[in-house]
Amino acid sequence: MTDSTTTGAGKPLTRAVVYGLVSVALYFMLYLFEDSILAFTSRGRWYFIAPVVIALVFSYVHGAFTGHFWDILGIKARK
Amino acid sequence: MEIAANFIPLNALDVTYLLVVGFIGGLVSGFIGSGGAFVLTPAMMSMGVPGIVAVASNICHKFPKALVGAIKRARYGQVDVKLGIVLGISAEAGVIYGAHIQEDIHRRFGDAGSNLYVSLAFVIILGIIGSYILWDAMKTRDTANDKEEKVARLARWVQSIHIPGTMVYFKSLNARVSVLFTLPLGFATGMLAATIAVGGFIGVPAMHYVLGAPALMASATELVTAFVMGLGGTMKFSWSGLVDIRLAMIILAGSLFGIQLGAIGTTYVKPHMIKMVMGVIMVLVLVSRAIVIPVYLSELELIDKLAPHLPGALKNISFVVLIAALASGAAIVFSALWRGISLQRREAAFAGAPSAAFAPSTVTTPISPQLSPLGRFERFLVATDGSEYSAGAVREAINMAQKCGARLHIISIVAGDAEIESMGQPLLKKELDTAQAHLETVKAQAEASGIACETHLVHGSNVHQEVVNEAERTQADLVIMGRRGRHGLARLMVGDTTVKTIGHAPCGVLVIPRAAALSGRHFVLASDGSRYADAAAVAAVNLAKYCHTPVTAVSVIMPSHSEERRKEAHSIIKRLVAFLRKEGVTAEGEVPLGQPDEMIVQIAQKRQADLIVMGSHGRTGLERILLGSTVERVLNRTSCAVLVVKTS
Repeated sequence: MTDSTTTGAGKPLTRAVVYGLVSVALYFMLYLFEDSILAFTSRGRWYFIAPVVIALVFSYVHGAFTGHFWDILGIKARK
Repeated sequence: MEIAANFIPLNALDVTYLLVVGFIGGLVSGFIGSGGAFVLTPAMMSMGVPGIVAVASNICHKFPKALVGAIKRARYGQVDVKLGIVLGISAEAGVIYGAHIQEDIHRRFGDAGSNLYVSLAFVIILGIIGSYILWDAMKTRDTANDKEEKVARLARWVQSIHIPGTMVYFKSLNARVSVLFTLPLGFATGMLAATIAVGGFIGVPAMHYVLGAPALMASATELVTAFVMGLGGTMKFSWSGLVDIRLAMIILAGSLFGIQLGAIGTTYVKPHMIKMVMGVIMVLVLVSRAIVIPVYLSELELIDKLAPHLPGALKNISFVVLIAALASGAAIVFSALWRGISLQRREAAFAGAPSAAFAPSTVTTPISPQLSPLGRFERFLVATDGSEYSAGAVREAINMAQKCGARLHIISIVAGDAEIESMGQPLLKKELDTAQAHLETVKAQAEASGIACETHLVHGSNVHQEVVNEAERTQADLVIMGRRGRHGLARLMVGDTTVKTIGHAPCGVLVIPRAAALSGRHFVLASDGSRYADAAAVAAVNLAKYCHTPVTAVSVIMPSHSEERRKEAHSIIKRLVAFLRKEGVTAEGEVPLGQPDEMIVQIAQKRQADLIVMGSHGRTGLERILLGSTVERVLNRTSCAVLVVKTS
């Protein structure tokens, strides 16, 4: 979810790899525990918070990865 | 644990399909703020996902996607969070009401009635708004400087209405607007979102055309509204356990790649491209929905029954057109991104090359908007001290703003020098009160003429510096001011606020003596053949085209000039006249012999001109004192308005 700068922790490539790996891990867990996660998130009522939290976590990690991904390919916003 | 009945098993093909559609949807959403998600609900339904689960899962992927897009575009300074949240909250109410209407229609008329209602909403709303946006995009595409957008007449009116207790400042509008206007717009956005799943088709045009936000900011701010609406929608559906989190996260995986790319794309395009993509998608989507209307009419027995094979065929064609709509939008975004990046690389390569050492044979059109201030008519900064010397500037600024649809920023500076402060606070307060009262009067005049207007009272020691600071802060396109003439020693010792402002201003300065009136009778363009004069020529052309005014181009030769210099003056005039005529302006040229300032003013008098346009070399300080300035001497001699065009 962030644009890469050299002032932050690590270089864009390193950060893209780290966020990419975490993102892959999250999706792998979603695949692995598909039934349990689906059952838990569809219980309804106060369990409504579960899909919201999952969506936010995925968007943070995967959003950061996709941001760095285009960055390291050289597709950056015009200054 | 078993998968609930609502949720279908997914195979690799389904996942790939959702990733691709999600990516394209995200790309379009990142670019125009919304509009990428409408295809996902039918796409999921075509896989066998129940309609309600498809809607719920679509919303659940939309809010985190909108969040990522909003954060990305906020980094480019395109997001107005406050406006997005204010619209988002009223949109929630619209969503609830829209859903209620949907349920009511469904209860009374069944599936066919509900589908007909949705399709008609698509056709009517997208037909009106989509074709208007497309027309506007075509129109602005052909303007010379479409990076600069005019505030629509309706938006100027909305911004001029003051309803006490309801006014809120929004940075994207750079104006205060009553929430009584934003509430119904948000509500309509929400209602549309509940009906056709894309509230942004109302939200973005509403922010742009009704409230006056620039197209780029409107599309970026819509992402905040979409986040607020999407979060509310997700909670609502999730409360009933209808969200398929796998579908939502798979679509999110593709769409986050897309939304980042779409957001980057906005930094390379001109504003009309946003409108173009939105218009094309809206019109194609309406075609897609119009195709299936006969099916629903037939199901409701409002028309004759269709042949058995026809409903299925029409629905398939409709879905293909829907996909084509999204693909067309994505293709335009890709092409704009590709061209933008290629152009930037070429410019970067060009910047590294040595500059040409010879004079150009044609008039150089400045690339930066700041170099042709009269290419844009968005923000005028008027400096007034309440005296008779600035009365002309205020009067003409209001006239010009009314004609051009510009916003006025009016600044009054109370000099905070030691002299006044030594006389004590009461006197200073009196000065400030008088200036404030004057600003209120001017503001009332401007608003009565339907002009969006802001006033700024500044207490500072350095008047011209305050004007320049304010011009930079408000990103003014033109500073308009009067002048108090100081001559001889007084000018050298004290200086002249107007001349100092011209020297330091980041934009053009229009100096209007108290008795001058800008009626567009005749313009005089003074040129010495420099790039500064070329910038003035471009400004003069823009203004002359706008006012349908004839122009006389003047290049003065002095007795001391060599034969070569005299020939050059003639070629400068020839070149300028050709340039002016090519642009459709009635033009003549003159090469008089004498002192430049005297000759320019004489020709202006002879032609009964009401404006002299000149370029500024931007000399300040010692250089100005030693070399003098033709601009300054013309200002001292003439009684007509003078536009001094600055280049960077």
